[in-house]
Amino acid sequence: MTDSPRRSRTEAGPAVAVHGLTKTFSVPLHPARGIVAVKDLNLRIEPGEVYGLLGPNGSGKSTTLKIILGLVSPTRGRTEIFGRDSRLVESREAVGFLPENPYFYKYLTGEETLRFFGRLCGLRGARLKERIDELLELVGLTKARKRRLGVYSKGMLQRIGLAQALIHDPRLVVLDEPTAGVDPAGSREIRDLILDLKRRGITVLLSSHLLAQAQEICDRVGILADGVLVREGYLQELIAIENQTELVIADASVQLVNEIESVISRSNAKLIERRKSTTTLERLFLEATAKNDEARMSNDEKTKKQK
Amino acid sequence: MTNDGNDLMLQPLNASTLARPHRPFSISRILAITFNTLTELTRLRVFYVLLVFALLLIGSSIFMAQFSFQQEFQILKDVSLGAISIFTSLLAIVATARLLPQDLEDRTVYTILAKPVPRFEYVLGKIAGVLLLLAISTLVMSAAFLLVLYLREQAVIHATLGQMSGAPPEQIADALRAIRSSALNIDIFPGIIIIYLKACLLAALTLFVSTFATTNIFTIVVMAFIYFIGHLQATAREYWLQEHSSGLLTRVFLAIVALLFPDLQAFNLVDDIVAGTAISLALFTKTAALGIFYTTIYTLLAAFVFYGKEL
Repeated sequence: MTDSPRRSRTEAGPAVAVHGLTKTFSVPLHPARGIVAVKDLNLRIEPGEVYGLLGPNGSGKSTTLKIILGLVSPTRGRTEIFGRDSRLVESREAVGFLPENPYFYKYLTGEETLRFFGRLCGLRGARLKERIDELLELVGLTKARKRRLGVYSKGMLQRIGLAQALIHDPRLVVLDEPTAGVDPAGSREIRDLILDLKRRGITVLLSSHLLAQAQEICDRVGILADGVLVREGYLQELIAIENQTELVIADASVQLVNEIESVISRSNAKLIERRKSTTTLERLFLEATAKNDEARMSNDEKTKKQK
Repeated sequence: MTNDGNDLMLQPLNASTLARPHRPFSISRILAITFNTLTELTRLRVFYVLLVFALLLIGSSIFMAQFSFQQEFQILKDVSLGAISIFTSLLAIVATARLLPQDLEDRTVYTILAKPVPRFEYVLGKIAGVLLLLAISTLVMSAAFLLVLYLREQAVIHATLGQMSGAPPEQIADALRAIRSSALNIDIFPGIIIIYLKACLLAALTLFVSTFATTNIFTIVVMAFIYFIGHLQATAREYWLQEHSSGLLTRVFLAIVALLFPDLQAFNLVDDIVAGTAISLALFTKTAALGIFYTTIYTLLAAFVFYGKEL
């Protein structure tokens, strides 16, 4: 992917700025007993970053995203998108949003869905058609473009959701739990798409409670607990253990490993653990299911030939 | 997923397009929501059930007991216009009640309003979609009614000509004139327009109620109350004015009641049409203006409440 001139241009300010944000939801019949969803939140997300807003359910992630998108008004504080107050409708020109578990209009096909959202963004004619083709290709739904969303799988819905978020070529993409309820293969596809957006210089703000995935794709993370930002920083800095070092060696003989251990024991350092490297469960799952898919496809082809 | 692992070039849009300043009001955005709403509503089974039921009722009115052609045409108009009125009103309430709550429940509203779409455009697009559906339904039902009326008129003319084959031409011309004036006449059309405007008013009021209702059922129940009170309010108002002095407080109170419960009886011109009374231009204009006024006010109120709504 190449960055467009627009992307490579130095942005004047942060992609997202949140200043002293507090949101209190009033309880019906008990106006004095408000529920504090977010408390004195300050965030600054730089252009081109992938920022993960992490936290358990009910920690205020979705509320924060909704306030940034102007869907909910803050009780105190303000939010800005590329320097524009996010309560202004025009600030949304720069944003694409994929809500958690999105349900689009089931009676529309994938192509019609993108056309509808494209028109809302002021696109039309040949340019809109071209954009739809590109995005369907990007999210791997070209073959399913004429199918109604009612028959789409969860992963396909997420992908069409991501395509509609990108229809007007936004500079910021906000994803609320983008892989919630999606199987590992679909989840990986979405992760790859997010990494692709990052390569093209698009700022990504995502909320998630799937920590392993956030660790793979985020540059910086903020951890929310009960509406308060309890930790924030560059991921590598946050998770690094300063006094420990890992060596991963391929094809090492037992003798070589023993020698390394003896060198360590003669020094002031301490060996904490010696173990075989392992693959991830996700990788194992994907390999196993891919082999199954290949076997099934080859069987299908054999059956066709026999017929 | 993307081209077997090959990187796909997703071209950024033309810079000049992106640089175009945001338009605070866009007809094309509203039309996109309008036609999407129309598509959504035409997928509802209730739309076809109501339409088929209304058409059956209009069609079956041919077979209702009759003693003279005047009575036959009166029954035909009474039943058909009554059916069009009731079914468009029912459709207006049932179709509109689900629009906003459904989008909120399915979270489609988030995706739409996260685009550069002002909330009032979203509300305008939704109501315009319903009004378009009501216009189509009214046209289909009216076409069926006028066809049935025309066919019956031709049948009666044919039968009368047969019976009066030896009669003088003036007598035949008088009889034909009498048949034609009691069958298809120009007063039917303003009557149909008023029925449509009443349905528009009910749709806009339903949209307004649905902006603060929590469920579709709540909206429909509230609208059922408003519908019946709206038909009775003129009588109640006259009774109230007879019993109480028409001071400022009374007038304010009655204005609030009139806003909350529109005088739906004022839209009932079917009786005049059936009785063969001509609808004066003044009455038509006044009633049409009232319908447009109420529809506009309720749409603005719905947009105002929705503007401040926490999603």
